[in-house]
Amino acid sequence: MAEETENRNGSAKSISIRSMNKYYGSFHALKDFSIEVEAGEFLVILGPSGCGKSTALRMIAGLESISSGELLIGDTNVTEVLPKYRDIAMVFQSYALYPHKTVAENIGFPLKMAKVPTNERHAAVQVAAEQVELHNHLDRFPSQLSGGQRQRVALARAIVRRPSVFLMDEPLSNLDAKLRGNMRAELKHMQSELGITTIYVTHDQIEAMTLANRVAIMKDGVIQQIGTPKEVYSDPVNLFVAGFMGLPPMNFINGTITSGKFLTSDAEIDASGIPDTKQATFGFRPEDCKVVAAGKGLIDANVYTVEMTGDQVLVTFDLRGGHLVVKMPKDFEIATGISAGITLDKNQAYFFDSEHGPRLHANQI
Amino acid sequence: MKTLHPKSGLFESRAIGEMALASRIILYTLLLGWSAFVLFPIYWLIITSFKNAATVNQGPYFLPWIDFQPSMHAWYELFVSDYEDTLRAYINSIIISLSATALSVLIGSMAAYALSRVHYAPNLITILFFVFLVVLTWVSISAFDVDWRVALAVGVALFFFLARGVGRLHQIHLHNGDILFWIISQRILAPIVVVVPIYMMFQSVRLLDTHMALILTYCVVNMPIVVWLMFDFFNTIPRDLEESAQLDGATMFGTFREIVLPLSRAGLAATTLLVMILSWNEYLFALFLSTTKAQTMPILVAAMNAGERGILWWTMSVAIIIMILPVVLLAVILQKYISKGLLVGAVKG
Repeated sequence: MAEETENRNGSAKSISIRSMNKYYGSFHALKDFSIEVEAGEFLVILGPSGCGKSTALRMIAGLESISSGELLIGDTNVTEVLPKYRDIAMVFQSYALYPHKTVAENIGFPLKMAKVPTNERHAAVQVAAEQVELHNHLDRFPSQLSGGQRQRVALARAIVRRPSVFLMDEPLSNLDAKLRGNMRAELKHMQSELGITTIYVTHDQIEAMTLANRVAIMKDGVIQQIGTPKEVYSDPVNLFVAGFMGLPPMNFINGTITSGKFLTSDAEIDASGIPDTKQATFGFRPEDCKVVAAGKGLIDANVYTVEMTGDQVLVTFDLRGGHLVVKMPKDFEIATGISAGITLDKNQAYFFDSEHGPRLHANQI
Repeated sequence: MKTLHPKSGLFESRAIGEMALASRIILYTLLLGWSAFVLFPIYWLIITSFKNAATVNQGPYFLPWIDFQPSMHAWYELFVSDYEDTLRAYINSIIISLSATALSVLIGSMAAYALSRVHYAPNLITILFFVFLVVLTWVSISAFDVDWRVALAVGVALFFFLARGVGRLHQIHLHNGDILFWIISQRILAPIVVVVPIYMMFQSVRLLDTHMALILTYCVVNMPIVVWLMFDFFNTIPRDLEESAQLDGATMFGTFREIVLPLSRAGLAATTLLVMILSWNEYLFALFLSTTKAQTMPILVAAMNAGERGILWWTMSVAIIIMILPVVLLAVILQKYISKGLLVGAVKG
């Protein structure tokens, strides 16, 4: 396999994106997008819909022009280069299969366009189809396939010519939950086997956490944080990243920080070393805290509802109209309506400047 | 089969084979009656073509050999004694409608594709300046005898001056929807309104009674229909497909040939047939723009209505029969595309 990859297009290539911008008229859709993707890396761009992640991907593909900035694939500057010369394969959310072509013709299309001789093309289509387990459906048309099979055709068409870069725009979002899980695993396996640099766009944090070597989290056209899944989960740089990563999301309580204390009307929490902040947010993850008897924890609140999900129990508290969620082991039992306390380790507490968003760290003095 | 078909719900009709005998008889009677009603004019046309003056005027006679003795004389007249006129009109009709259809479908679908894929934003002010200066130049040449070179040069200079200066300051942008509406609005106008100016235009360029005059006119008249239908059709083809083809290494022309063209085959077939029928049957422009050499079939048929021998129903019937045939043939050939073509716009998928 490695030899074949070598023969066709050389090894995987790195991607350098340097302060790429996109304007639609006066709308600034993408702001100073910069990222260095290593050869063979699996990078996931994660963000809510409308954050500019698909625009960024389409600009890398060459389907949207780059208003300003530079894009390098390998050592070549491709900022102004047409899509077909960028040596990129893309999997669309809609799969974009050609409805009038059979599975074999769909998979073989990139090779046909590259004028690969017929025999060689058939062999390559066979290999790619076997990789995605579609070799028995080569004569069918896309309309005769299930959603999962269509997805595989799109993948086979992308891998058949061994491009130097894979781009994927929410490729799994049209599949049902179970199939999505299976395809996610296959995708990851295939990418690591082929070793092709991949940029993957999604709004699903589970996909991002499981697939990525590194995750770039975006909001309003700006990259908020780039890091390994573990880094963005356990060390979020701001309120948005903290709230976006994790399921159920992080609990937030608003208050102020004065001389090392986080103050709200309900509680006083140790925030030693954190600078004074007028509008501060105290955050903690549902999986980092525990339910204890009233008065024994950091905060007391009323139990609002208890949900059993199978492997765990989610206890939701009501605190002045806001909700706090605590994940407890599956044998935990508590009645709704009673008052209970929540406790957590000090180093599991996150503090943010809620006016501007950034995380507040303890001064290293 | 006493039970209901498992798939058939309350509002789902059963197949005719599953119906009771009585309802089947009623159904077939109704269907046959309706077919007879619809097909009767065609039948009447055919038997009239085998009648002569006596059997038409003394009629109505319905059944050949029983009511009246069929005669071939109308067919003889059109195909033997007057075959030159018939043939000329027939060939004219074929040449004119085929060329006009090909031209308007080619240009119209290209325009439709551009409108569906590229976003245009022309400045209304610039367009108005352009129209105003064209009129001004024309008037100064024809009414005030200004040398045409001077008038043209001044017109072009003024246009650039105004477009660059005032046009840039005041911008009212039109969009694809406005352009499309403008094109379609050309068809809303009743043709009778423009037929005299068009006549004078072709007179001044000495193209009256030529194929070219009718081909160009039909092409322009039918273009809005082509643009309108094909614009809708191209919009149903997802852009993703073309983008994907581009990434797969297809050139612009390759994308068009491999993806867009095969997928729009149904729409093109339906549009072609419609435009073809419209050109084939067109009467008004043909009446004004052709006299003898470029005369088309509708004119030939109409002429039989007004000869000094009275209305020649029998030869007219023959002419109408041979006029219907090519359209029926085309409809049969394109049928499988057309049923699809009409559905694709409605049902996305």
